[in-house]
Amino acid sequence: MLFSIIRENWRWRHQVWNLAKIDLVKTYRGAALGKLWLFAKPAVYIFVFWFALRFGIRSSADVNGKPFLLWLAAGVFPWFFMSDMITTGSDVYRRYPYLVNRIKFPLSLISTFYTLSLLIIMACMMAFTVVVAAIFGIHPSVYLLQLPLVMAIMFVFWVAWSMMLSPLGAISRDFAKLMKTLGTPFFWLSGILFRLDSLPHAARVVMAFNPVSWCVEAVRDCFVYDIWFWTQWQDFVPFLIVLAVVALLAVHNYRRLHTEVPDVI
Amino acid sequence: MSSEVIAETTRIGDATVVRDENAAEPIAVRFDHVTKTYKLFKNDRQRLLATFSKRVKYDTVNASDDLSFTVPRGASVALLGDNGAGKSTALKMITGVCFPTSGLLEVHGRVSALLELSAGFDMKLSGMENIDMRCQLWGLSREESERLIPEIVEFSELGKYITQPMRTYSSGMRARLGFAFASSIRPDILVVDEALSVGDRKFAAKCRDRVRGIIARENVTVLFVTHSTRMAREFCETGIVIQHGRAVFSGGIDDAVAYYERS
Repeated sequence: MLFSIIRENWRWRHQVWNLAKIDLVKTYRGAALGKLWLFAKPAVYIFVFWFALRFGIRSSADVNGKPFLLWLAAGVFPWFFMSDMITTGSDVYRRYPYLVNRIKFPLSLISTFYTLSLLIIMACMMAFTVVVAAIFGIHPSVYLLQLPLVMAIMFVFWVAWSMMLSPLGAISRDFAKLMKTLGTPFFWLSGILFRLDSLPHAARVVMAFNPVSWCVEAVRDCFVYDIWFWTQWQDFVPFLIVLAVVALLAVHNYRRLHTEVPDVI
Repeated sequence: MSSEVIAETTRIGDATVVRDENAAEPIAVRFDHVTKTYKLFKNDRQRLLATFSKRVKYDTVNASDDLSFTVPRGASVALLGDNGAGKSTALKMITGVCFPTSGLLEVHGRVSALLELSAGFDMKLSGMENIDMRCQLWGLSREESERLIPEIVEFSELGKYITQPMRTYSSGMRARLGFAFASSIRPDILVVDEALSVGDRKFAAKCRDRVRGIIARENVTVLFVTHSTRMAREFCETGIVIQHGRAVFSGGIDDAVAYYERS
């Protein structure tokens, strides 16, 4: 089953790419600035964070010799991607009902191209962060080279996430609502706004199994901590275990339910 | 794309679906004891629970019940039957947007469906973007779609509206675009579900001409679902009568219409 899903995705790769672009067009449709919004949103957030840190919280110690603002941006921008994946990514079939029951189209692809489209937005934000950091004199280190790999792993994980939950989201609206309410807790529990090393040991062990915090920390490895993420095996191994479980459940749910989804959408 | 024959055999529970793009196969569509069961739950919560536990009770209804028939290549066949007889379910299974519960279904050749024409479009995209997307999903190359798209736009008579978002279209405009697309992409098997009453009288006549042209082409198999026996006689050589999800008669169109009207 896993292989047939991968084969399907490979055979339709051009369509996946085009549909991801179309999804982007839809997101920014009707906005006069259009593509500029890809960069306007992170710019506004960086300004707001800067403002809050400068005049509000004032507790922004440098992290590993890098400004706190960069540490924050490297956490919040991946979070935007993951937040969308948690809330809307777990209900993709309802977003594209006509691909489910009007056109013959492999369902597994819907998760792939939707994740890809969100990932493109995140890539733009990452590029923006690199440029802004460089303008302020923080030049990218060699550790930034691992960012594409981190994003590829995130892509695989969140596609599996979307495939695991979307059939359930399609079957029950309650389930889709539950996922939407989970967005905020994940934000506060995943160490996006606070440093995970300040947690007690037991909490850190639990947190190692939280995929959101792994993704955030891995991106920060590239920008701030200056380490290779695979050397942090005490975080990486638990993440791989979670990835394996999610991928297994994704295949299981998909196989069991993908024929039922068109009947209920 | 067309040179590469992709065969897939899918087994889901007791059902087997064989689907390939081999338009040389003498049989276009074959139903062999196909049953499609819909599960009816009291509410969404019960349906969700049922995915975790087998103990949840539900009602079932058989939209297709031991359905067997064969459509040879190049035929134009009318499916006759009352509302709820299971014609649309059968067509959906042929199209591939719905899976049988048990039995064997064979489809040889690429299927284009004129099912509920106004559906199948993204309301946020413009008519042009929708057509472009559908061409890509159908597997047309850039050049092929560039040749085909002006033809589709012209046939749909949408003019300047084609660059406007679909949500601003009237239902008639959507249906016209849907018909123009589905009838232009040169499928091996064309499925028509009550679609020829699109738009005003002039456009409906144009649609009928188009379908007649498709039927006249060699090797194109046309499946026609209709309540109108007049329309069935006009377009089809053979007819299949479906009642309660079962094929009860199969033969020449005049005999089929006579059987249907008698029952």
